[in-house]
Amino acid sequence: MKRRVFCTLATAGSAALALGSRPARAATTVSLWHIFGYSTEPGLINIARFNQTRTDVQIDGKSVPFGQLSQQLVKAVATGDVPDLITIDNPTVASFAGQGVLEEVGARVAASKGLAKSRFFPGSWATTILQGKQFAVPGEVNTLMFYVNQDMLRAGGVDPSKPPQTWAELTAVAAKLADPAKGKYGIGVSAIQTEEGTFQWLPFLQQSGAGLKTLSSPDGVAALQLWVDWVQKGYASHDILVKRQSEMTDAWLAGNSAMSLSGPWELPRILRDVKFNWTVIPMPVREGKNIHATALGGYVWAIPKGAKNVDAAFQVIEYMLAPEQAARSFAGGRLPAVQDVQPPADLPRGEVYAGFESQLQYARPRGPSPEWPRISEALQRAIQQAITGQQPAQQALATAEATIAPLLQRYPIEGM
Amino acid sequence: MSQPLRHTLDATPWRMSRDRFLDSSTIWMLLIGAAALFLLLLVGYPIAYNLVMSVQEVTLGNLPSFSRPWVGLQNYRQLLADPLFLLVAKNTLVFTVANVAVQFVLGLGLALYFQLSFPASSFLRGLVLVGWMLPPLVIGAVWKWLLGSDSGFVNYALQGLGLISGKIYWLADPSLSLLAVTIANIWFGVPFNMILLAAGLAGIPADIYEAAALDGAGPVRRFIWITMPLLRPTIYALLSLTTVYTMRAFDLIYTMTHGGPLDSSNIFPVWSYRMSFELFDFGGGAAIATAMFALVLVVALAYVRSVNAERPM
Repeated sequence: MKRRVFCTLATAGSAALALGSRPARAATTVSLWHIFGYSTEPGLINIARFNQTRTDVQIDGKSVPFGQLSQQLVKAVATGDVPDLITIDNPTVASFAGQGVLEEVGARVAASKGLAKSRFFPGSWATTILQGKQFAVPGEVNTLMFYVNQDMLRAGGVDPSKPPQTWAELTAVAAKLADPAKGKYGIGVSAIQTEEGTFQWLPFLQQSGAGLKTLSSPDGVAALQLWVDWVQKGYASHDILVKRQSEMTDAWLAGNSAMSLSGPWELPRILRDVKFNWTVIPMPVREGKNIHATALGGYVWAIPKGAKNVDAAFQVIEYMLAPEQAARSFAGGRLPAVQDVQPPADLPRGEVYAGFESQLQYARPRGPSPEWPRISEALQRAIQQAITGQQPAQQALATAEATIAPLLQRYPIEGM
Repeated sequence: MSQPLRHTLDATPWRMSRDRFLDSSTIWMLLIGAAALFLLLLVGYPIAYNLVMSVQEVTLGNLPSFSRPWVGLQNYRQLLADPLFLLVAKNTLVFTVANVAVQFVLGLGLALYFQLSFPASSFLRGLVLVGWMLPPLVIGAVWKWLLGSDSGFVNYALQGLGLISGKIYWLADPSLSLLAVTIANIWFGVPFNMILLAAGLAGIPADIYEAAALDGAGPVRRFIWITMPLLRPTIYALLSLTTVYTMRAFDLIYTMTHGGPLDSSNIFPVWSYRMSFELFDFGGGAAIATAMFALVLVVALAYVRSVNAERPM
């Protein structure tokens, strides 16, 4: 408590210094653990603006790397010293809510003028609901597209203005551009044994027409065999088994991979570092099926149970999702979870942001299910077994299907 | 009882009582008590906490309190029944034995080498230590880059030397990934081995070597009959410390492979972390940690015994 008062005074004090005239007085301090890292990130700008405009509520922010959010929240729960508000990865909401760690916010959302369900992308809204109750509010979202090195395409005799639109075309382009002996690859995805691997492969499963209950069906097998062939024929590097998405983007930026599957979070550094002509293309669809599907990532705003300032924390959520604040998301390589804001006109490469924005209509949530970590683990294992050649795709997926079936029995997932 | 000299020189009553206090048995009981309390709170509590968790069903919901459902040895039984258990146990064993053995041999070699006096020998010895000063996360990131299949330096060098024609998938091949993380961890640990052994070597009196040389013992026999026996206490201490350090390796593997592909480089600490913080199975994670603690304790006890045995009677 003492620490909080001190922080409040410190925050208020520095704000007063910055503005010169503001009185150092703040009634309530909302402790917020967030994923906003670098100083110019829109999330941090929003926090600073909030603290400047409000005198009754102040935000005391603490930055936590995205990959450590769950761990930090678990530690906070264990010690009983939880923040008032936290940004968490959307597939983890169900796990945390299912174990009673998050405050239910359904009634507050229903009573809020600004947070009408119709404003949000349906997929991101779904990640906040567990068994009919709402435990979070979508914050920012992201999705996957292929980043394309147009110079590499041109050099390989592929017309960059006619990008691949089907799996077969995608594979053909990848085959044409790959030269594994020189360390050049046609395509890059992440098949790592973490949630990132699941995140990247799941859209292919959904495009194939199969689902978690029909993993080992011919459709499901086709989705996995696609990746297996890429690696075994040398179109993609073996290292996709241990590389994270950011490391795959490194390879793309270095000109070692012509097309790389990743999200808008990479845009700030790509715009800064890229040394060739590039664009993004939507994930191609499977021929004969034409099912559009892509991944849905991003964070949600959640209030941990035991938070001391629930009312004020909810006001912060409302503030962050108001159109003016939400519109700032783009500049940080994130997309607002609300549909009623457009990328600012002066954004560099605005068409790329618009491209990502347009794909959100196909973005499907992972889950929600409190058992998602185990479902995901089974998928990761199947993906890696097939790519390493330890098991045929069909056999690997049959094992995963058997592991996942009882988990789906306990917590059915709509549409999966 | 004769008064110590200093008391007669400066015999104010306050000083006398202070000195009597410092010489008394009360003081060492106080000192031991403070140390024991410190250990109990900062070492004993987490161990007990972990032990309790490992026999309970722990969820996020009941994490803050101690009143959780008791499940006896169920977490341990589940662990043993887990298809991953044997693989992770084997990985941990191979990783630990390889690290301890190779780090020791290389460390001893380097320590002996730097004992020779040649220009800049002490400077170079200091340079070797740099590896030990880097955080394991950084070392993991650097080695992940070095061992990359496509643009990694190791493959590039091996190809340049004509030793391999194709690529070696150091990290992506499940049959090599454990070797890859072991190599990186050995690189990390050798400087520590070297410096402890160098200190041990420096403690061996030079006149023993001289006497042996006069008696006609060559360098090999001097090494076998003088260096090794006199270095024994250092070696015991070092081997146990390296074992303990290796068995709790986490950051480096987490950065390089995350335990993959297919858990081929997964060892107990990484598994425990993933169980607790990725699957939210805290009881399972605690059970692994407790089992690890028991193993490390055995090593530590063996070390303490060996130290006691070495002590002159």
